[in-house]
Amino acid sequence: MFEAAAIAEALRNFVWDSAPVLALGLDENLCVTAINAQSQRVLPATTVGQPLAELLVAFNRPDDLAARIRQPGAVHRFTISTASGMPETLGFRFFPLPGGTLAVAGLDFAEQQQLRTEVLKLNSDLNNLTRQLHQTNAELRELNQLKNQFLGMAAHDLRAPVGLLMSYNEFVLEEAGETLSAEHRGFLQTCRATAEGMKQLIENFLDVAVIESGQLRLECAPVTVAEIIAGVRPLAGLIAGKKQIELIVAAADEARTVCGDAAKLQQVLVNFISNAVQHSVPGQRVWLTVRGEPTQLIFAVRDEGQGLSPAEQARLFAPFARAGTKKTAGERSTGLGLAIARQVIAAHGGRIWVESEPGHGATFLFALPIQETTQPTEPT
Amino acid sequence: MKLAEPLQLAQEDLYRLYVAGLLANDRAQCQKIFEEWLAVAPDLSLLYENLVCRSLYEVGERWEQGHISVATEHLATAISESLLNLTYPRLFATPRNGRVAVVACVANEYHQIGGKMVADIFELHGWRGYFLGANTPLADLKTLLAEKRPDVLALSLALPANLDRLTHAATEVHAAFPALPIVVGGQAFRWLERAQVEHLPGVHCLKNLGELETWIQKETAPKNV
Repeated sequence: MFEAAAIAEALRNFVWDSAPVLALGLDENLCVTAINAQSQRVLPATTVGQPLAELLVAFNRPDDLAARIRQPGAVHRFTISTASGMPETLGFRFFPLPGGTLAVAGLDFAEQQQLRTEVLKLNSDLNNLTRQLHQTNAELRELNQLKNQFLGMAAHDLRAPVGLLMSYNEFVLEEAGETLSAEHRGFLQTCRATAEGMKQLIENFLDVAVIESGQLRLECAPVTVAEIIAGVRPLAGLIAGKKQIELIVAAADEARTVCGDAAKLQQVLVNFISNAVQHSVPGQRVWLTVRGEPTQLIFAVRDEGQGLSPAEQARLFAPFARAGTKKTAGERSTGLGLAIARQVIAAHGGRIWVESEPGHGATFLFALPIQETTQPTEPT
Repeated sequence: MKLAEPLQLAQEDLYRLYVAGLLANDRAQCQKIFEEWLAVAPDLSLLYENLVCRSLYEVGERWEQGHISVATEHLATAISESLLNLTYPRLFATPRNGRVAVVACVANEYHQIGGKMVADIFELHGWRGYFLGANTPLADLKTLLAEKRPDVLALSLALPANLDRLTHAATEVHAAFPALPIVVGGQAFRWLERAQVEHLPGVHCLKNLGELETWIQKETAPKNV
């Protein structure tokens, strides 16, 4: 039979040397008089003579610490600052001893187990959601591809009949226009304008289908600013002239060169100018400017229209986004032009953006990296 | 094992470092090795078998032998599961073949990483592999089967103690969807016999990922009419 005193001594030695609990001897002023091995590991900065209150984090330090430790058998949850920098909440028990108090503190096993289970479950849930997200993205990509295929096929099949309608309409207007009443000529002109709108829509759909399927192919070659503008001027002039808008072209450095697909860049500029005209009233002006910087050329189209709010600017380059401002003559648009422009400029390694303030017009810009053809210099 | 050349360390050394990282719950070390391995792995299924599966079996054995705590084992599993996320950009880019698999852990089965790897293997072979997670209630499973109309149901079993629930789920599903093949597998079948589940109608046991791949290839191969 072991004597109770021997058992107590063995337990004391065990707790002091190797038990995974913190044990601290405290004097009547609640200052540390002894520190066990686990306390030294968890709280290495603790020194003999240090008040117990200093070991507790400030927000959790009770005002009635002395009164609390006199409650025999009670477990007090105190938070300590550990050596790892992580605060840890422990259950403290206080045992009165001759000339002082023994404080024993440990983790709440049930709480730790519950927390671990919860964390693992959250981790699993998060991983499952991540997987689901990737899977859904893959499904959406597939659907998008199907949509593009359908769009491309439908647009392709519609283009020819619409072209035929336009041709016959044109033919009738030219050949028999004089014999028709003004009302009937008006009907045909409306048909012509509607078919023109459909043709534009179909061409935009084809562009979108090509771009989104990743099949946009640029036919890039060195092209000068002058060459790009020359390709834009006739059509842009026509668009502006129809609405009595003055188109002002001001390009510095016309000889500078970019590597790009001239037709696609011209398509973007015509789109910019067409939008500018649509948001202008007769008598206003639209500027097409090009300015050179050391590493890039910046093309800009500015109008004197109603301008755009920051919210409108943010969504303007997304497909089917339309500005909240109304077109001044009720013109129709597909809402795809700027989305196509964004993709075309991105494919050139360029940047596209808009600058505007409501009531002060808008400027649409794109920047392209310059490709300089450097002439070898003769050694002197 | 395949792979190796571009790695600075021999593959076995790398594997040992990975396991050491798992046992030390050192996520950063594991991720570094996983990413390095992933970058050169020609085939993701080899990565699953030779790194993820093998290491988890080793960790499990160490736990069974009392060398590591259950907390360490759980954290090692959590790290492994998180690392699988790194494969998804590649995994879900695999061209689809129109087949669909639903993968679930039966009710009360909380070990899900095996089931998730099964769903991923289906994805790798062009199937759409829907993974329902741990502890899937039978009613939810049947609802999803009715909605997705898959070509196969895979049930994962990690603990032999849950065999009765698996048997019940497989029987119920077969009654509701008699034409639906059911494959079962998982760590539990290191101890269980195939016959313990293959007597059930429509049920086929696949003991490991290799057997699963063989089954998928057979199912996907064009059939002579």
